[in-house]
Amino acid sequence: MWWGILLAVLGLLIGILIGFNIPVFLPQDYAKYLSVAALAALDSVFGGMRAALEDKFNHGIFVSGFFSNALLAAGLTLVGDRLGIDLYLAAVVAFGVRLFQNLAIIRRYILNHKIK
Amino acid sequence: MTGKTTGYVSIMLVTAILGVMLAVQFRVVNRVQAGVSTDRAKEIVDELNQIDLEKESLHHEISDLNDKLAQVNQGQSEAVKALESELEKVRLSAGLVAATGPGVEVVLDNPEGGKGNGVFIIYAEDLLKVVNELLGSGAEAISINGQRITDTTEIRMAGSFININTKRVMPPFQILAIGDPDALANALELPGGVGDYLRSMGIVITVKKHQELTVPAFVGN
Repeated sequence: MWWGILLAVLGLLIGILIGFNIPVFLPQDYAKYLSVAALAALDSVFGGMRAALEDKFNHGIFVSGFFSNALLAAGLTLVGDRLGIDLYLAAVVAFGVRLFQNLAIIRRYILNHKIK
Repeated sequence: MTGKTTGYVSIMLVTAILGVMLAVQFRVVNRVQAGVSTDRAKEIVDELNQIDLEKESLHHEISDLNDKLAQVNQGQSEAVKALESELEKVRLSAGLVAATGPGVEVVLDNPEGGKGNGVFIIYAEDLLKVVNELLGSGAEAISINGQRITDTTEIRMAGSFININTKRVMPPFQILAIGDPDALANALELPGGVGDYLRSMGIVITVKKHQELTVPAFVGN
C-alpha cells in the first residue's frame, strides 16, 4: 500500500514535469474544461487512495472512474456553456464535496492505524 | 502479484495524467493572468461585433445622407437656374437689359411746314397716347429715341421740350416697341384710333414692322 502511494506521488511528479515541459499550449477557451476535468481527476485519485487504504482497490474501477469523471466534468462544462448555464459549478461542487469526504476518510484511516 | 503490479502501473499512469493536466492548467492560468481573462475577451469581442454592426449602419447612413446631399445640390442648382431665369425676365421687364425681337418702329415727326420755326406741335400727351396704345396691345419693351420706357419713366413737357427719363428728346420721335408686329401696327392704325387722331393733328406718323429690332437698355437718369 505504501508502495502504491509512493508510486502515485512519483507519477504525479513525472506528470507535472512533463506538463511543464511539453511545447504544446492549450488555448484559453479550453482552460475551463481542463480545470474542471483536473478537479474530477483529483477526486478520482483521492477516491483511489481511499479504496487502497480500505483494501477495496480495483484498478478497473479506478481507471474507468478517473477518465469517465474527467470527461463528464468537461462535458458538463461544455453543455453548460452552450446552454448559458454555469453547469460546471455542479461538477465543482460535487467533486469538491467528494474530495473532502475522501480526504477525511483517508485521514481517519491513517490516524486509526497510527494509534493502533 | 501481477494484479497488484498492474494496479500500481495504472495508479502511476493515472496520477501522471493528473500531473500533466494540473501542470498544463497551471501554465494556462498563469498566462491568462498575464494577459486578459476569458470573460473580458468575450466582452471585448461582443463589443467589437456590436461596433462593427454600428459601423455598418453608419455606413448606410453616410450613403443615405450623400444621396440626400446630391439631391439637395441638384435641387439647389435647379432653383438657382430658375431664379436666374426669373431674374433675367424681371430685368427685361424692368428695362435693365436690351431687348431684341420682332416689333414695330413708329416715327412721329412734325409736318414739313412746322419744322425749324421752333413751334413743336407734338406734345408729351401724344407720345403717351402712342406708348399707351402699344402697351395695351402687348408691347414688351418700348423706347423713344433711345430712352427705354420703364416703370419710373416720365414723359412730360419741360417748357417747350419733351423730357423722357429726364433727358430732353427732340423730334422726330422714333418709338421702338417689341411685340407682335401685326397686333401693334393694327392697334395704331385702327380707324379712328391713335394714328388717325395724330394725323388729324397734323403729325406725320409712319409705322414700320420689323422682324428683328433691338430696344436699348435703361441707362439711368
